[in-house]
Order: sequence, then structure tokens, then C-alpha cells
Amino acid sequence: MSFLQSHLVNLVIFAPLLFAAIVAALPQTEKQQIRVATLFGMAATLLLSLWLYLGFEPNGPEFQFEYRARWIAALGISFHTGVDGLAVSLMMLTALLGPLVVLASWSFIEERVKEFHFALLFLQTAMLGAFASLDLILFYVFWEAMLIPMYFIIGVWGSEERVMAAVKFFLFTLIGSLVMLVAILALYFISQPAGARSFDYGQIYNSLLSATREVSSCARAGGVCSGLSPLARNLQTYGPWMFFAFALAFAVKVPMFPVHTWLPDAHVQAPAAGSIILAGVMLKMGTFGFWRYAIPLFPVAVRDLTPLLASLSIIGIVYGALMCLAQRDVKRLIAYSSVSHLGFCMLGMIAITEEGAAGSAYQMLNHGISTGALFLLFGMLYERRHARLIAEYGGIAKVMPVYSALFLIITFSSIAVPGTNGFVGEFLVLLGTFKSALPRFFGVLAALGVILGPAYMLWMVQRVFFGPLTHSENQRVRDLNLRELATALPLVALAILMGVLPQPFLSRLAPATKLFVARASLGANAASDDLRNLEMKVLDLPREAALSSRPSSATAADNPPTSHTRAFEPHR
Amino acid sequence: MLLSECLQHASLIDCLRQSPVDSESIAQMLWAIIALPLAGAFVSGVFGRMLGRANTNLIACAAVAGSFVLSLLAFWAVNDPRTALLSSFSQDPVRYAVAHDFGTWFAAGTFRVHFGLMVDHLSGVMILVVTGVGFLIHVYSTSYMGHDEGYGRYFAYLNLFIAMMLTLVLADSLPLLFVGWEGVGLCSYLLIGFWYEDAAKAWAGRKAFVVNRIGDLGFLIGMFLLALWVAAFQAQTNNAGGQGRALEQWRIGISQQGPLTFRGLEEAVRRIPPAAAQLRDAVSLDTSVVSGPLKGTTFGQVLLAVLLLFMLGAAGKSAQLPLYVWLPDAMAGPTPVSALIHAATMVTAGVYLFSRVGFLLVLEPTAMAVVALIGAATALYSAVIAFVQDDIKKVLAYSTISQLGFMFMGVGLAVFWAAILHLVTHAFFKACLFLGAGSVMHGNAEETNIKRLGGLRRQMPWTWATFAIATLAITGIVPLSGFFSKDAILHGVHGTDLQGYPWVSNTAWLIGLCAAFCTAFYMVRLYVLVFEGDRSPEARTAKAHESDWPMRLPMVVLAALSVLGVVYGIPLIAPASGGPAQTVMENYLSTVSAVPQQLARIHHTLRQGHESSLLVAWAQAWAIALAGGGLAGFLYLRYFPSRPKLQVPAFARALERWVRHGFYVDQLYYFAIVKPTEFLSYVLYKVVDSFIIDTLIVRGVAWITARSGAALRYLQTGNAQSYAAVMALALLCAAGYAVIQVLK
Amino acid sequence: MVPINNYLFLAALLFCVGMFGVMVRRNALVVFMCVELMLNAANLTFLAFARQRGDSVGHVSAFFVIAVAAAEAAIGLAIMIAVFRSRGTLNIEEIKTMKH
Repeated sequence: MSFLQSHLVNLVIFAPLLFAAIVAALPQTEKQQIRVATLFGMAATLLLSLWLYLGFEPNGPEFQFEYRARWIAALGISFHTGVDGLAVSLMMLTALLGPLVVLASWSFIEERVKEFHFALLFLQTAMLGAFASLDLILFYVFWEAMLIPMYFIIGVWGSEERVMAAVKFFLFTLIGSLVMLVAILALYFISQPAGARSFDYGQIYNSLLSATREVSSCARAGGVCSGLSPLARNLQTYGPWMFFAFALAFAVKVPMFPVHTWLPDAHVQAPAAGSIILAGVMLKMGTFGFWRYAIPLFPVAVRDLTPLLASLSIIGIVYGALMCLAQRDVKRLIAYSSVSHLGFCMLGMIAITEEGAAGSAYQMLNHGISTGALFLLFGMLYERRHARLIAEYGGIAKVMPVYSALFLIITFSSIAVPGTNGFVGEFLVLLGTFKSALPRFFGVLAALGVILGPAYMLWMVQRVFFGPLTHSENQRVRDLNLRELATALPLVALAILMGVLPQPFLSRLAPATKLFVARASLGANAASDDLRNLEMKVLDLPREAALSSRPSSATAADNPPTSHTRAFEPHR
Repeated sequence: MLLSECLQHASLIDCLRQSPVDSESIAQMLWAIIALPLAGAFVSGVFGRMLGRANTNLIACAAVAGSFVLSLLAFWAVNDPRTALLSSFSQDPVRYAVAHDFGTWFAAGTFRVHFGLMVDHLSGVMILVVTGVGFLIHVYSTSYMGHDEGYGRYFAYLNLFIAMMLTLVLADSLPLLFVGWEGVGLCSYLLIGFWYEDAAKAWAGRKAFVVNRIGDLGFLIGMFLLALWVAAFQAQTNNAGGQGRALEQWRIGISQQGPLTFRGLEEAVRRIPPAAAQLRDAVSLDTSVVSGPLKGTTFGQVLLAVLLLFMLGAAGKSAQLPLYVWLPDAMAGPTPVSALIHAATMVTAGVYLFSRVGFLLVLEPTAMAVVALIGAATALYSAVIAFVQDDIKKVLAYSTISQLGFMFMGVGLAVFWAAILHLVTHAFFKACLFLGAGSVMHGNAEETNIKRLGGLRRQMPWTWATFAIATLAITGIVPLSGFFSKDAILHGVHGTDLQGYPWVSNTAWLIGLCAAFCTAFYMVRLYVLVFEGDRSPEARTAKAHESDWPMRLPMVVLAALSVLGVVYGIPLIAPASGGPAQTVMENYLSTVSAVPQQLARIHHTLRQGHESSLLVAWAQAWAIALAGGGLAGFLYLRYFPSRPKLQVPAFARALERWVRHGFYVDQLYYFAIVKPTEFLSYVLYKVVDSFIIDTLIVRGVAWITARSGAALRYLQTGNAQSYAAVMALALLCAAGYAVIQVLK
Repeated sequence: MVPINNYLFLAALLFCVGMFGVMVRRNALVVFMCVELMLNAANLTFLAFARQRGDSVGHVSAFFVIAVAAAEAAIGLAIMIAVFRSRGTLNIEEIKTMKH
């Protein structure tokens, strides 16, 4: 592996941090310099991330561009990063939104500019790191690190009740994450014997494989069995609790009903940049967490809880849409529409079919683009009028035709009109739901979102853009300037491109989708799954002598004792 | 081959049938038919203001004209007897069809959709109608919208609509058809609400979109169930009955092209033996699905559900009961839009859909009965409402709904060629009527109330002539194209028998005759009130002015087509297989309807035979049309004008008000569906989200934490000695515990 | 030989007196003296056991205690002087800034 192969992911993760250090060194009064430097940093990250994305081989190994270095060896924590199909797509999304966020705040943030941009860059690093980490503690570190700059962005540069919203957001997410930490520690102790423990994701997963199969065959047989190995017995007792802990943390982030109430407040009070990042990327952390950690590690618990999770997802879809109909505040409406859209994502994952999972993964990307664009566009309007209530607008299309056209296209993407990206995602999710083992009416209820979506979005569009110009203040707003147009156009273009040519994006997601479905349905039917196909093949810990990683395949004879990839072959 | 060479050994007709461009090139060029209007939309929308009105008009019209030329070439290629298409689903080539697969759209798991376009006789007719009538309406719009500032936006939307409608018609698979299906709904939304500054007009657009979406929900779920059906069929069907190689080929096709292509579905259905054959181990409609999500239901039941869901979708798009409510309000849009979208093309999508999947429809008599009865009921229902409308466009809107009901009647009873013929003729005369209405509005300062018009016969001669011809066509008072197409449906419906539902065809036929009577009545009423008699004293302008040539020419062309369309409806051709003489259209579409007819025969689902002779049917229809038209003429030319102070009884006035408001169905929907949903969302928001979750639970937890903190604060007395006392106490307890442990 | 219990009782008595004084007396200097009393009581216990065991572990511990007591007295008295300078009183019940 060349230098680039092993270090590209780290470069992508830490480039924003490097530029954050540069921004910290700039004098506070040079606002334009700070903005340019941040933009530069985000653009550099974007280029690196594009390199990563294009270099990812859809038909290659599961985790590519891996890097592993010793960190806290005594506790089994290593600095292990790598990307699979979904992670690299989400990192691309994050990197794409980075420069757009800086451009969106160009004229909006005028106070404490340096701190703001520092926070943005720091946040970028944390999010990219969370997607790319393959060690549970490293993931946790990045996960928590995301909260701090977001808290400041909402709490310092937000609207009237920003402190309340920031505190609510922080505490809500933190409670979930702390429960997840307990579960991570439990996994650490349960899954591996003493002396060979580590927090490495691949290692933990491989250790649990055969135990999971035992537990699932026991569950099929009725629930009480003898002859389980001690690991399987632990898994049977504590598995549901650990899953619940992971699920709670991710459910708060998604957000799923009923732990969703932090989102409207956070979105309403946050500045435009904060909303874009929050809706565009941070909400995907929750769904990504389910995809990567919660569901594959505990497939038996997932199967037992499928009706509950599916119901919560569908409630999210329908309830979120109904909430939107009752809103008077535009940002609150878009926030609730996020709840509705991510309900689709969750449903696609719970359905555990290839179509549903592919749709869910694609919908994660779609939602980032369309809802990010919605917040971006509305932020531009807010900058002009400083009003969020629908009643304060009306007839905007007359004075801002270009803006209205872009907003309308993004609206269509949000309501899944064919030709835009939203359609492909929703179609696959609904198809997957019908193909799954869930009862028929789940699919029908979920499809109600198809009717409710246009109901609230077009209602909002009509009240804001169409109709007569009722307020005199609205008559003087100017249409988009060049910078704003340049910020919004990439997202609009992507919305259409991803709808007409989704195959390049889907092909990168396909292998990750297949593995996800295979892992999530481990033990679902009586036929024995070949555990070798499900094992995660990751890098081993590098030897003490050399500080750089050394690739070793699973068949290398000189595996250091920390590797367990050969110890759990299916024995019968 | 040059014409001269050809004439040496074949007749002129046969030589003309050979297309100049070979079918392979046509197949590869099919994307251009859609791409041209799409490019026109982009250019008009983005650069319209820069290019100026004249250039934008030119580009938009040229795009559609180019599309028309290409459609003509495709049509020509499809008529060529040499054209044959190799399908991936069967060994035999498919004749009279041209298709090309332009690559994968999206694929996940076992599901895939390709960008596949296909032209056969059915879609060939449709693309000609869409691009031809579309072009005429574009020309008309250049004058009608001549004073509107938003011309760039208008032509962008109109071109986009043409592109979407062409996608719908050219698609070779259900998902791609759905793209066009929703796309035309989108354009309809944009165009109905074109004058968005009027809140009511914008609202009408939104209503159209949301009601369409309800139908689209049915379509989507139907598609999903059908995909599951194909998967179950694939898994369960075996090679019994000597179909081994054919099934093998079909399986290959499914894996390459996805489960929802029309060709694939047709081949699948052809492999189903009739239930009576009792083939062991073969999958027939009564077989149960053994595994997967559809487990427990029979193949036939699933198919029935799919077809009923498709009917829901078609009811939304084609404005049938119960989802027709958007169409009358859609008249808020510009009149050319009403002509194109809500008369000629978009609303016919449902009829086209069922003609396309005719091979599925004929397998389920229940579905056919439902479709036919909905069509018949809608035809009569909206015809009655049209009796009392005073807005010229609303009359035409309800008339469209009624005529669509006729088409669905025909489709439901598997007289596909008659429904398509009526679709074509309806496109001609209804578009002509709408354009005429637009011309009338244009010349009378946008007056739409027919009670305030009148006497336009002499003041707007061109409009009068074309409108009159179109009225004659739709009513059938003079046997023009509309007479033959409508009668073809009625005659075919009367002669078809559905297995298990013998009463359906007669019921539909009778309702159809009543609706035909009503059609004649209200159309003649409309004509008389607008064009005959004296000019109403409440008119807005003293004199009406005739429109200029871009508006007159399309009306003339459409009126001419309404007359010439007669050719397609008269039985002239003796079919090769014997039997009664066929009309040109029936013969032409037999390439497409051969498979459904064969399936209907094999599965004994319907029997088509004509009980009464065609001439008797013609006579009946003509008599009814004359009666209806005559009654209307008498009432509005003589009876009412001679009794200006006629006292109408209160009961009649109340009845008229009830009917005029569409039986208050809109209000019913509002109170039964819209208001409860809004109320539900309000209640959920205020009670569940704001109160229970946010206030009680979230803030409640925070409050509890704060209160416990406040209570525990009192432990901090600040007095060092009290702290010391606590420590001493703890030490004492610990010492006591240690002593006890030691003594044990 | 004096039985060791006598020394232990004496030390316990001294400790209790000291503890009682720490908890009850109001003057900070008196509290300090009581703390010294408690420390010396501990010293006595150490020495008694050292005498009984015969080795010098207890003596070493006693030296540690004496050193710690001295350091603590020095720092504590300095704090008292600073507190008196800023508040004018050494009454512990009036020095309650850490009260909620």
C-alpha cells in the first residue's frame, strides 16, 4: 500500500483541523482573511475527499484506505481508520457541504468571526473522523467531539432562545451517548477473553459471530436452551440491553419518535450554517450508527424488536409529516420534515432487504442534499428579512424569481418527484418494505408519506412564494447575488443529477448494502450462513517496532496474538 | 430503397409503408424525441428573458415541431412490415415495434429499471397526438400569451410537459412510465398555478398535485405488489406444459431488464395456463404463493389488487370518480394549458396505462367490471353536472371528465381500439373546443360566464365555425369522427360479456347512452348560449373581436382533423382472419391488442360478439344525439328566450344549485378529509409534541433534576463543623461495622 | 508493666475529647488545638503498640504524624491570620461563604 492509500483518510479527517489551527493564528479583526482561509481549508478537504471517493473501488475489499496505529495499547485502543461504501459516500457529503456552509455564512456572521470559523473546521474534523473510525473508542471520541462546536454554534450565533436550544441539544445527545459508552464497555468485556481484549470494531464483530449464530438458533428453537457457550449466554442475556443502549444514542441523533423534540428547537435557533450542517450531516450520524454498529452487532435483538422499530419509523414518517402541517415557522416545518424523511431511512434499514437498505443509504445522501439546500436557501431569505414565520411572507416569487425557481426544484426533490434524487430513495425504501417480512399495512402507512409530503411542502411554498405581495417589506428584497447563486447551484444540480443518474452512487453503496443485509439477517433462517463471508477483514495492529501500519491478510501466518480472525471458524 | 425502384415490383401503398430510415437508427434516436422538448424547456426557462419573446416562441415551437418530425419517422418505421424487434424475453421477434435500452437507471438487489424506450402501434399513435396537438397549442399560445410577461416560464413548463408526456408514452417499463406520470402531474401543478399571484389559482394547482398524489400512491403500491408478484412467479413457475425454453428465456430477460417491463409482464402472463386446463405443477391464477411476502394469497388475487390500485392511480390522473375534483378547479390555468393538458394528453394517461397493461386486465373480470362501471358512472355523473354550469371552461372540463368515462368504459370491457380511437378524436375536438373557448375569452375581455355572452356567430366567424364543427363532432349530431368513436365504444361495450358479471356490459351500455344524450344536450346548450341569439346586455365589451392567425390556424387544423378522423372509425377493412369488417383503427391496433384478446379467449374471461348489427347501433346513437341536441336547441333557442320572466320553482332552483356545485363533493371532501387531517395535526402538535413530550417529559426531567438539586443543596451548610460531624458519624459507623465483622 | 489497654483507653479518651471539641467549639484556634489533641491521641496509640510489638514501626509513624501536625499547624495558623485580617472574626459559625 502506498503512502496515499494508508494516509488519505487521515488527511481528509485532519485537514480541517490544520486549517483550524491556521485560523486560530489569524488576528481577530481580519474577518475576510479568516473567511477565505476557512473556505480554502474546506475546499482542500473537498478535493481530498473527492480523491478518496473516486479512488474507492466498488468491487474491492469491504474496508479500503485503512490505517492503524498503536494508541493506548494497554486498554486495547488503537487509532484505526478506514472507509466502506457508505462511509466514503457520507464523508463526501460532509466535505461537499463544508465550503457551502462557509459561503452561506459569508455575510451573515459578523461577530466573533474567528471563533465561528474555528468551530466550523473543528466540527468538520469531528464528523469526518466519526464516519471513518473503525475503533469503538475512537468513534466515541469523535462522536462526543461533534457536540461541542455545535453547542457553541447554536448557543453563540443563534436566534432569541439559542441558549435553551443549545443546552437541550447538548444534554439530549449526551445522555444517549453516555448510555452508549456503557454499552461499548460492556461489549469490550463480554466479547473477548481477558488479555486479548481490544476496542477494535472488526475484532469485536468477529468474536461475536459464532455466538450470535448460537443465540439465534436458540431463539428459533424457543428461547431457553442448554449447551450455549459462555459467550453466547452472555450475549443472550445482555445483547438486548446493549442494543438498546446503542439504539438510544443513535435514535436521539436520527431523530426518532419520541426522542425528537430537540431537533425543532435546535434548528429554529441555529444560524443557517448550523442548520445546514445539523440537517445535512449530523442527523446522518444516527442512521449511520444504526447501519454500522447497532444492527450488525446485535441482529437477534434487532429481529426481536423489529415491530417496535418499524412502528417508530412509520410513526416518524406520518407523525413528522402531520406536525409539519401545524407549523407556523418555516424552519420548524423543515425540521419536522427531516423527522419524516429520516423515518424512511430507518424503515429501509429495519426492513433488512437489499432494496430497502440501498434505498435507506441513498436516502441518507438525498436528505443531506435536499434538506441542506432547503436550510441554505431559507437562510438566504432570513438574512434579508430576519423573519421566520410564514405569515410574514407571501408573494416572494414576484420579487425573487431565480430564488423561487431553485427553492421549487429543491421542494420537488424533498417530495420525491421522479427525476429528482428523492424519488429513487423513497421508491427503493418502499419496495424494500413491501418485500420484507413486515406486514403489508406497514408499507401502506409508510407510503402515506407520499401524499402528506406535498401537502405540507406545497402549502408552505404557496404561503411563502405565491399569492399577492402582502407585506411592504417584502417588496424590497433583492434576488440572489452571484455568491449565493454559486452556493445553491451545486446542491440543486446534484439533486437532479442524483435523480437521473443514481447508478454511480448506488454502485459504491451496493457491496456495503449486501454485507449489511447479510449481517443483519444472520441466523434469520435455518440455513446456516457461511460465517467466513460475514467476517470483517481489517488491518491488524502493527508490530511494536515499526510505528507505521503493516498490512496483513487474514491468512498470514505471523498474526500477532491480538488477531482473532482465525479463531472463530464455524465449528460443528 | 428509392421510391422508383420500389414501384417496379410493389404497389404504391406498400412502397409508402417502407420507412426511409431503418428501424435500428430510429431506435437509437428515440431519446431525441424526449430530449428536444427538454432542451427547449431549459433554454426557455433559463434564457427566455435574455432571448426575447419572439426567439423564445420560436425555440419552443421548433422543439415540439422537431419532436413531431421524429415521431413521424418513428411512426413510419413502426408501420413498416419489415420492422421486427428482438426482445430479450422471447425467442420470437416482435413485429411492428421499435425499442432501445439506453442503460440502467437504478438497480438494487434483484430489482432494476432501465432507460428503455419503445414505440409500437399504440405508442406511435400517442406520440403523434401528443406532439402534433402539442405543436398546434404551442403556436396558439404564442398569441394567447402574447401580453404576458412570464412567457419564458410558460414555454419552459409547456415544453417540459411535452417531454414528460412523451416519456410516459414511450416508456417500456412501469417505473419509467411512472416518471412521466408524475412529471405531467408536476407540470400540471406548475401550469395551473401559472398566474401565482392570485392565491386561488395557486391553490388550484396545489389541489391538483395533492389529489394526483393520492392516485399515485395507488399506482406505487400496485407497482410494488406487481414486482413481488413477478418474483413469486419466477420462483414458483416451473417448466411444466412444455414451456421450458420459453421460461428460461423469460428468466434471463427478467434478470437483465428488471421485473416491471411491459414485455416481461406480457411474456409472464402468456405462460399462465388457464385454470380449466388443470396442469399439474403449473402456476395458474388460482395457485397460492408459497413463500415470501405474498404468502397465502393466490396469484389471481394479487393481480386483482394490483389492477384495482392501478385504477386508483388512473382515477387520480384521469379525473374519474372519486378523484376527479381537481379538474374543474384546474381551469384556473391559461386556456391553452387546459386544452393540452386537461383535454388532450395528460388526462388520457390512465386510458393509455390500461391499454398498455391490457394483457393483465383481461385476466381479472372483477377488475374489468370495476373499471367499466367507474367509467360509466363518471360519464353520467359529470355529464349531469355539466348541464348547469355557467362557466364556459367548466362545462368543457366536466365534458372532458365525462368523455374520459367513456374511454374507461371501453377499456374496462376490453374494446381497447375504440377507447384509443375516442382518445384521438377527443384530443382533436376537445382541444378545438378549448382553444375556441380561449378565443372567445380573448375576444370578450376574459368573460367566461356564458350567460353574459351570445351572438358571437357573426362577430367571431372563424371561432364560430371551428367551435360548431367541434360541437357537432362531440355530440354526434352530424356523424363526424366523434360519433363513430363514441359509438364504437358503446357498440363494443354492448357486445362484450364478462365472465361472472353478465349485467355489467348492459348496465354500462345503458348508462353510456344516457351520458351520450346528456353530452348532446349540454354541448348544444353551450353552443347556443355563446354563439346564437343576441349579444347579452351584460357583456363586458360592446363588440367581440376575432383572434389573429396564430390562434385561428390551430383551431382550423383541429376542426379539420375532427372531420377527417372519420376515416379511422368507419369499418372498411376486411381482417385477414375473417369476421366482420374492421375499422382502420381496430385493424391498426390489432398488433397490440392481439395478445389481450388471445388471453381473454384462453382464460374465458370475456366474450366479444356483436348482438345487434352495427347499422342499428348507429341509428340508435344518432337518434339519441339528435334528441338531446334538439331538446337543448329548442329550450335555449325558443323556450327560454320567449319566457324571460319564467318563475322557476324553489325546489328546481335548489336542485340546480346542488348540481352546479358538483353535488357539494368538494365540500364533503374538505370536511371529511382535509379538516380532520389539519385538526389531527394541530392536536398532535399541541398535545403530544408540545405538551406531553416536550413539556411533561423533557422539561419535566429537567425540572426534576433542578428541584432535586435545589433540595440537596441544603446539605451544604457552609459550616465546617457540621461537615466534621458528618465525617465523625461515618467513621463511627465504619468502626462499628468493622468491630461487628471481627466479632463474627 | 502497665497493661496496654490503659494507654489505648487514654488515647481513645483524648481522641473523643478532641473530636468533641472540633465539632462544638466556636473559636478556630481552639478547633486547631483540638485537632492537635486528636493527632496526639493517635500518636499515643502508635507508641503503645510499638512498645507492645517491640519494633520501631510505631515510632516511625509517630514521627510522621508529628511532622504532618507541625506543617498543618503552620499553614492553618497562617490561614487563620488571613481570615482574621479579612473578616475580623475567628468565629467558625460566621465563616460560611460556601453555604448554598
